[in-house]
Amino acid sequence: MSQIGPIFRALMRNKVGALLIALQVAVTMTIIVNAIHLINARGDLMGRSSGLDEANQFYVTSVGYANDFDAPYVIDTDLGGIRQLPSVDDAVQINAIPMSNGGWSMGLQTKAGEGENSVPTALYMTDEHGLNTLDVELIAGENFKATEISYRDRNTRDWPQSVILTEALAKSLFPDLSPTEIVGQTVYIQSNEPLTIIGIMDHLQAPWTGWTTVNHSMLVPNKFDSPYSRYLVRAKPGQREQAIEQVEQFMKQREVGRMVRETETMTQVRMDSYRGDSALQAILWTIIVVLCIITALGIVGLVSFSINRRRRQIGTRRALGAQKADIMSYFLTENVMITSVGVILGIAGSIALNMWLVSSFNLPRLSYIYLPIAMIAMWTIGLFAVWGPALRAAQISPAIATRNV
Amino acid sequence: MLAMNNITKVFRTETVETHALKQFSLTVNEGDFVAVTGPSGSGKTTFLNIAGLLESFDDGEYTLDGRSVKNLNDKQLSQLRNEKIGFIFQSFNLIPDLNLFDNVDVPLRYRKLSKAERKERIEHSLDVVGLANRMRHLPSQLSGGQQQRVAIARALAGNPLFLLADEPTGNLDSKMADSVMSLLEEINQSGTTIVMVTHDLSQAERAHRHIQVLDGQVTEQKRVAPELSTVNA
Repeated sequence: MSQIGPIFRALMRNKVGALLIALQVAVTMTIIVNAIHLINARGDLMGRSSGLDEANQFYVTSVGYANDFDAPYVIDTDLGGIRQLPSVDDAVQINAIPMSNGGWSMGLQTKAGEGENSVPTALYMTDEHGLNTLDVELIAGENFKATEISYRDRNTRDWPQSVILTEALAKSLFPDLSPTEIVGQTVYIQSNEPLTIIGIMDHLQAPWTGWTTVNHSMLVPNKFDSPYSRYLVRAKPGQREQAIEQVEQFMKQREVGRMVRETETMTQVRMDSYRGDSALQAILWTIIVVLCIITALGIVGLVSFSINRRRRQIGTRRALGAQKADIMSYFLTENVMITSVGVILGIAGSIALNMWLVSSFNLPRLSYIYLPIAMIAMWTIGLFAVWGPALRAAQISPAIATRNV
Repeated sequence: MLAMNNITKVFRTETVETHALKQFSLTVNEGDFVAVTGPSGSGKTTFLNIAGLLESFDDGEYTLDGRSVKNLNDKQLSQLRNEKIGFIFQSFNLIPDLNLFDNVDVPLRYRKLSKAERKERIEHSLDVVGLANRMRHLPSQLSGGQQQRVAIARALAGNPLFLLADEPTGNLDSKMADSVMSLLEEINQSGTTIVMVTHDLSQAERAHRHIQVLDGQVTEQKRVAPELSTVNA
């Protein structure tokens, strides 16, 4: 039985309580929609591919302490030995670990000279094993040759002649050329140092996950002559734990005047890198749950108050022929109507808050798919909250209608 | 039409048992106008609640329009109340947030009548009580007597088997009370059966039959008008 008309007219004469619930629903919906939007935006960031074979990779750090520590000798013999281990697919010395939030960045430009526009990029130093160890694919050109690899130290100013770029970086530098056409082009580092592009790789993230140009990376054929050295190791599929054990054991048994420190899987690197984002997601989920509970309790409180105030009226309705289901239906319908007003206000509030977030914090624009989902959630919360009080209202005896006190 | 036979009702708390009705018997025939009087605590409100299917009873037999109500469930009792009984309460029990039209509409909506039929019945019943021109007013905009007239219109709109009036003039001054009683007499003369609980003996004398209740039992009956009902105390 439709009770919408009389309920609406009754609400119009008693607006305050209804308006309080509607406003609470609107505020909750506004916050929930934008919180879920932020959670999903963070999820998208966290779900981006690094380009690596993360499940099978780890890195280990070697720190030389002996006065006669010979870094190139130790690095070359370390890598030679590690690559021979049965559970290891490949290994490389690398100056920075993707997603670790620490590394080198440079600028590349297509024309030599100070003041020319440059494109920022992360710089990874690897040898000819870099592509395989990182698990990135060449989509054009070729890999470094072993003969191209040279050592450099902190004071080296020169750059090798060849470079491999990610497709995203190559497209930024040469937007009108295909990857094949980009191979052979010259770019300049530190304004005037020419580098020849010998290869284009599909995808490799920079170390800084929050960087706007996170997909701009380049490989140069260098090893780093330093007592502090990091090896990135790629285990054979499913053998990472064995590989860690074997690599640590191999390195520790070598008496070359160094310490083996800090072995960390790429899975852990990813978790550490996105820890802040994960925490934000957890906080936002907590806020959503708490807000939903507060809203539900608010509705329970106001509806219970309203029912207590109308006990005689409910008894009269029962005396006049209302069944228990009619009383339930009355309060559920009333709640849906009030919640609907809140939901409409909530849609406007959600869009307005998102516009402010977009303009103030450069956040992504709200996807409108969240709005119908939030509307259904608000109606569900409303009905869930009002169900108990409505059930109690339906139990009110019709005999209360004849009581005069 | 309404037959109560040896009805017993006991209210129990942890320490006290109160026998509100003891072997209470009453028969009301179609077209009758019965007044039930008695002092406070005599059981007349309990009788009214049981007669109006607002409360259950412990023992005895109650037949309404030829149907025993003893084993009916809540839904069936609600339907019977809605279709067979028109209630008039001492405090009018109008819904303050609804105008007169919507107030009279309340029991009709529970009967699932069409919108057109409801409108016709509402307008007719408000016309009968002389308030057709105020149907968009709120109860608070009316006097007590007018509010009770609206309650009578609400009771009449459902075209019930009988009207059950609980102290219908109890909250009114003498002039308004007289006006409401005159209206009830008119309604009864047009064929509607009325059972009225009151403490006002002068009002009771205007009914066809006057029943006195004491300690949950009918103690005296006085026939004032044509022989339409019988008492078995």
